[in-house]
Amino acid sequence: MKANLTIHPRLRMNISPLVWALLGFMALAGLIALYRYAFGVGAISNLSNSYPWGFWVSFDLFTGIAISSGAFIIAAVIYIFELKEFKPMLRAVLLTALLGYIMEAMALMIELGHPERIWYFFIYQNWTSFLLFIGLYVMIYIAIMAAELSPAVFEKLHWEKSINFMKRLMKPLVIVGAVISILHQGSLGALMLIQPTKLFPLWWTPILPVLFFISAVAVGLGMTIFESSLSSRYFKRGLEVHLLSKLAATIPFILGLYLVVKFFELFYSGDAKFLFNSGTMSVLFWSEILIGVLFPMIWFAFKRNRQSAKGLLVGAVILLFGMILNRFDVSWFAVKHANSITYMPTFMDPATYFPSWSEIAVSIGIFSFGILVFGLAVTYLPVFETEDHAHGPAPETGD
Amino acid sequence: MTETIKHKAFIFDATRCIDCRACMVACSVENNIALNKTRIWLAGEGIMGIYPDLQRGTMVYHCMHCGHPDCLSACPVGAYTKRLDGPVEYDGDKCIGCRYCMNACPFGVPHFDYDKGIIEGAFIDKCSFCLQRVDNGLEPACVATCPTDALEYGERDELLAKAHARIAAHPERYINHVYGEFENGGTSYLILSHVPFNQLGLPTLPETPVNEVSEQVISLTLPAALGIGAVLTVTAVGVSLYNKNKEKASAQKEPEDVK
Repeated sequence: MKANLTIHPRLRMNISPLVWALLGFMALAGLIALYRYAFGVGAISNLSNSYPWGFWVSFDLFTGIAISSGAFIIAAVIYIFELKEFKPMLRAVLLTALLGYIMEAMALMIELGHPERIWYFFIYQNWTSFLLFIGLYVMIYIAIMAAELSPAVFEKLHWEKSINFMKRLMKPLVIVGAVISILHQGSLGALMLIQPTKLFPLWWTPILPVLFFISAVAVGLGMTIFESSLSSRYFKRGLEVHLLSKLAATIPFILGLYLVVKFFELFYSGDAKFLFNSGTMSVLFWSEILIGVLFPMIWFAFKRNRQSAKGLLVGAVILLFGMILNRFDVSWFAVKHANSITYMPTFMDPATYFPSWSEIAVSIGIFSFGILVFGLAVTYLPVFETEDHAHGPAPETGD
Repeated sequence: MTETIKHKAFIFDATRCIDCRACMVACSVENNIALNKTRIWLAGEGIMGIYPDLQRGTMVYHCMHCGHPDCLSACPVGAYTKRLDGPVEYDGDKCIGCRYCMNACPFGVPHFDYDKGIIEGAFIDKCSFCLQRVDNGLEPACVATCPTDALEYGERDELLAKAHARIAAHPERYINHVYGEFENGGTSYLILSHVPFNQLGLPTLPETPVNEVSEQVISLTLPAALGIGAVLTVTAVGVSLYNKNKEKASAQKEPEDVK
């Protein structure tokens, strides 16, 4: 493609209504953020002394990181297990995950009381804090993913030397990235280990990090299917159904493992007694098990569902929905904060929490930023179909 | 140094509290805290029962100054420290405002400046043990003010002995338990009560600090990292060698088949 150096294209730039909407959401979030910096976290959110963490932590941190786990899985499949056929998917998944992590960092910049001190992670460290580890993992993994994705930029710039350098570096980079990512997914669950008296016993268990890791693998695969399906629709890109169906075939095993570990732990620890008699908590628990685990497990066990684009998408959406519910449960719905019976003063009240519109608007704005950057990146960088030049068209046969 | 460091503590006797709230005022004056952000709050169900069997259940609630503080365990940047003589200190200069300590604290003690923007600076606030007074040989402000000696201050061992002596002297008046002796790994705020402790707003806690499991799991991070790294490296090298051998073998066996 020839670079066009005239300024006329700018005048002809055609911004679609979707892009306008995304820009609008971003602007609104930006304004809310400015208001927050001037008047405090309480001015834009319903967070309180009783509920210090709410929607932002559940959505941007817990959900955002979980759906970003596809990157280390696909990278490991390609570079560690050397299943090169998956290579066409790598960059899109990496990009999704990188943006997921950046979006989470942006949400933190609004949520933290002192966002300008985020770099204190590097100078003051308390090694008994899972939050410290999570902060470091986020920063390191953003750097690693950016490096893993850098060949796309180098290809655009035709920097052959850098491309070759990155090719040699890729394997160790993927291994380090996978280690960081696995630990990060587990640590997110471990963040709640310090609340044994607050998190409902159906969810609180010392093996929460293990459960979080296993479910993150399922979520990562689900998100890969979901993201591939959507980008094939909106960016007119072929859908690698045969590759996706191979990924989907592993989901029943992963979810099966999750189910076994989860229920073994429940019965072993004796928390199984809460399974049916805990009101809302039981309903939430069974919802996430049915929607996030049992249904997708059975759905993806059928070859017919795995081999159609629609079947893959339906299964992935339901899996994601259930597992996101799990993340919300662990970080919000099942957390009961000390309902202090304080009558003087009243600033500890209320011990209930529902997000304000501006909290949700901030998250929507950040999400819009992610979508917009994704769109720009796939338009201007060789994110899709990059390996096709080297390997020829992907085989048509679905196996 | 074999000399044991004296461990200071508070004791609160709910039977003596008359709900006058002088401690709240004294604390706010001493520490220059706005009254709507007081570090002390009155917890409990207040007046309970049906006339004529009435009981007052109120408690002066502030930081418990735990032996193994969960805020300290949780804080990513180490803004909390546990002084050897008892107080749990908070250093606002390190705080990044993540509010993880508020999640970690089973008592819900740390509270946050939700109404402060980035220029004023939003910090965590909690009872500081009146270090400026204690270090100069004075009692904390709340203790010095308490008109009924419901709050007292001293060596933790002596206060514990005093508490048990009080229970022994009037077993009909007290619940036979000193809250904070073992709760959450032992606290430097001890509570005597005539009503069940949950009616004072205190959580029921095990004797191990709530951060125990978290700290055990976090100590597995490095072994886990090395283990996962080793497994992945071995797998990568193994798969790579296997694939190379296979390529070589197929190339040697039937070179004319490969195009």
